[in-house]
Amino acid sequence: MKKIIDFTLNGREVSAEVESHKMLLQVLRDTFQLTGTKDGCGQGECGACTVLVDGISINSCLYPAFEVDGKSVTTIEGLVGEGNKLHPIQEAFVENGGIQCGFCTPGMIMSAKALLDENPDPTDEELKKGISGNLCRCTGYVQIVDSIRKAAKSLK
Amino acid sequence: MKKFDYFQPETLKDAYSLIEKSNGSYIYIAGGTDLIANIKNRLIQPDALISLRRIKEISGITQNKDLTLGSMTLLRDIEKDSHIGQNYPALAQAVKILATPQIRNVATIGGNLCNSAPSADCAPPLLVLEASVTLEGPGGQRSIAIEDFFMGPGQTCMNMSEILTRIRITPPGENTGMAFLKVGRVSTDIAIVNAAACLTMEKNVCRKCRLSVGAVAPVPLRLRSVEKMIEGQEISPELLNRAGKMVEEEVKPITDVRSTSGYRRIMSGVLIKRAIEEAIRRMEQNK
Ligand SMILES: Cc1cc2nc3c(=O)[nH]c(=O)nc-3n(C[C@H](O)[C@H](O)[C@H](O)COP(=O)(O)OP(=O)(O)OC[C@H]3O[C@@H](n4cnc5c(N)ncnc54)[C@H](O)[C@@H]3O)c2cc1C
Ligand code: FES
Ligand code: FES
Repeated sequence: MKKIIDFTLNGREVSAEVESHKMLLQVLRDTFQLTGTKDGCGQGECGACTVLVDGISINSCLYPAFEVDGKSVTTIEGLVGEGNKLHPIQEAFVENGGIQCGFCTPGMIMSAKALLDENPDPTDEELKKGISGNLCRCTGYVQIVDSIRKAAKSLK
Repeated sequence: MKKFDYFQPETLKDAYSLIEKSNGSYIYIAGGTDLIANIKNRLIQPDALISLRRIKEISGITQNKDLTLGSMTLLRDIEKDSHIGQNYPALAQAVKILATPQIRNVATIGGNLCNSAPSADCAPPLLVLEASVTLEGPGGQRSIAIEDFFMGPGQTCMNMSEILTRIRITPPGENTGMAFLKVGRVSTDIAIVNAAACLTMEKNVCRKCRLSVGAVAPVPLRLRSVEKMIEGQEISPELLNRAGKMVEEEVKPITDVRSTSGYRRIMSGVLIKRAIEEAIRRMEQNK
């Protein structure tokens, strides 16, 4: 079964014919070639596939593509500003060693974005809870938490 | 992953008529956080999913005389509801530490119950609050006690075409305190053991006691014999120890990837003791 879905993707109106058994993750990566969103566990465990749907963070590996019809999706590619300028959260990750291999980074940054949009001034506890759905194999999280804390400051 | 069709009906009627046509090869989907993972792992292979997301009447929180939760209410919305946080803290706590933010943003309370995992975190609070659930199908609707809903791992008393539409909780009244506790490997994980308590006190004496543990038997358990032993008694350390021992005898835990049956047995007693203490502490704070 196929259907045309219309939605907003990183601020642009888009439309695509998708198969009913596809998850949003596949549509983003295969149909729209937005490979910033990563395919990790595919089971909701690791958070590498995190994107925002109507501003709220979700695991795109478990999100049926038909359900984004009429909604607004933001991926890591949508954070970059004019002239390819990095978003302050991205910049903070680069500057504070929040990235090593980078596989978890897009999902981590989308979770950080969702958190800071809802709570611009999180406590350390709230911050850690905010990224509790994102696993990182490399950094040990300390630099990630540090990066988000600094991003929160620069966003104020 | 096996291919499947995907339907998005806007009314309960349309949902039933789709499932009735399918001879058991279609299945309802709520947030999909259990279901899609099960399909990917080939535990089930449905021909089509019938999404309940567009059926508006089964979503949302209302408090009249009773608290009513539509089955499609997101865990996220329960977590953020200050009325529930204030008046039903055991449920609020369960939802707050269930899975990850991304999961809570799409998972529903109805899905948590219908999935019928012995470890479902919403089950113990709803059992101690003596919630009732409304099941609706082409043949009409029925309302049953949550205790009669779970039949075994992955099994409920619903028939194939029925939909869980609402969960109803009667406010527990004065001098009542409640708590939910969970032990897991990490905070976002499925419970090794979870437990809830709801106690109504008259000075030091317990007038009404409701207890539940999960992940230690084929279904989330109400602990009736322990409740009976506690009611009418003054809460003392000796009484709590006796309660803990009784819980250990009543549970039937298994060993799996998360824990051993021995650890689960001991922790179920410990968690019930702590949940009772926490419930009483909460009640005293609210005075
Ligand atoms: C990483 C991860 C961590 C998790 N951690 C926890 C945890 O800590 N605690 C916990 O309890 N759970 C946990 N879960 C399990 C799951 O997220 C929850 O059980 C969730 O509440 C399921 O809700 P859903 O809306 O996604 O259900 P779905 O997956 O959509 O549905 C689950 C089942 O219920 C049926 N169903 C759903 N709604 C209805 C309805 N209204 N009427 C009839 N049938 C219905 C579906 O057909 C399906 O069989 C976790 C899952 C993941 C992936
Ligand atoms: S790929 Fe989606 S959570 Fe791991
Ligand atoms: S930087 Fe490698 S997984 Fe996080």
